[in-house]
Amino acid sequence: MKKDEHYSEEQLNAFVDGELDPEEKSRLYNASERSPDLDQRLCRQRKMKDLVQHAYKDVPLPFRSGGTPLARTGFLGRMIAAGFLIAIGLSTGIIAHQYLDQRQIDTGSVTANAALPVHKIDKYLLHVVSGEPEQMMAALEHATYLLESARSGEDRQVEIIANERGLDLLRSDVTPFAKEIATLQQNDVVFYACSKTIQRLEEKGVTVQLVPFTNPNYTALDRVVTRMQEGWNYEKI
Amino acid sequence: MARSVILGISQRRAFRKLLGNSRSRLYRMAYAWTHNPHLADDLVQQTLCKALSNQKQLKDPGAAEAWLFRILSNCLKDYYRTKREVLSAEELVIVDDRTPEHESEEQQLVSKVRRAVRKLPLPQCQVITLVDLEGFTYATVADVLEIPVGTVMSRLCRGRRSLREFLTDIRPQPESARTAKLMGIK
Repeated sequence: MKKDEHYSEEQLNAFVDGELDPEEKSRLYNASERSPDLDQRLCRQRKMKDLVQHAYKDVPLPFRSGGTPLARTGFLGRMIAAGFLIAIGLSTGIIAHQYLDQRQIDTGSVTANAALPVHKIDKYLLHVVSGEPEQMMAALEHATYLLESARSGEDRQVEIIANERGLDLLRSDVTPFAKEIATLQQNDVVFYACSKTIQRLEEKGVTVQLVPFTNPNYTALDRVVTRMQEGWNYEKI
Repeated sequence: MARSVILGISQRRAFRKLLGNSRSRLYRMAYAWTHNPHLADDLVQQTLCKALSNQKQLKDPGAAEAWLFRILSNCLKDYYRTKREVLSAEELVIVDDRTPEHESEEQQLVSKVRRAVRKLPLPQCQVITLVDLEGFTYATVADVLEIPVGTVMSRLCRGRRSLREFLTDIRPQPESARTAKLMGIK
């Protein structure tokens, strides 16, 4: 009867979890045949495992409008967006203040709209700030994924805004992704090049040439603020 | 040069498929770690975004699943490290909004076990769920959580011991007990 005390709880767990090699497994199995106490200990360990498996065997995915894995801006996404807005806001200072003053009337109407319950959001604004090809590709992949994962008959809108180093994505003489961008444009994805970033580059003497059909008329700040007020999902890549 | 870092189309598709297929499992794990559906969903979202952004880091496609769960674990770590103090009301979740009277026997069991798992310290909870729900080996769990295998074993041990204590009343009722109850009614 003492025999089973040689087996530690770790060993019993390893048995239950299939971590023992065949020899050890056989030894413990034979010992449990001889010792009801050991057998009971093993049963207790296995029971805990079974209960946990049973408790989580059916965890339904939360409803999301598009049913896509990468399609909702939640708390963390909003935190990222908020961080971006704060950073931009601080850097633009008085200009941004004046700019926002000028938008008083518009903001009032948008706020009223924002108060309305939004039942279905299928609009996505992706924001590219990095000049790394991997990040740019991730944004294009993400946009492709969003389009591909839309349910049939569902109208999904995707826009991509690029600023800072991310503007390289949309510069025709720099981007390695002109083809991919054209393909996405054919699928109604709209690309925006931040007018502020273009202006800064031009002030430095850089001639900015954009890929065809890129919209250069908005700042990243304006697009992000406007689209978020309109209830779009926002994701910074 | 930039082209050279881009994976082939078929590989990218396979990667996207992997992400799509992993979502429900990642969500189940995130839910088991947090018991907060909104937070779990956000963590999965973050995990998938990070995976897309960093797919180049995945050298061994065979290790993709462990890699995804490691990202999930790191997202949760980041969340607790930086965001906990700014939890909004939206983050507060009533986990059990049904009373026991409204639950079937099976639902009651599920709720009870989930409550017990929720009481565990997160490190123990993570080890138990990765082993029991995903069927990961101890070595894989060690890799996912970036801890030694010995720590996996000791956390598993302590976690299951605690679960046993929390769930002492879950045991099949012996025939004799049922008889005794009936005799009492008489």
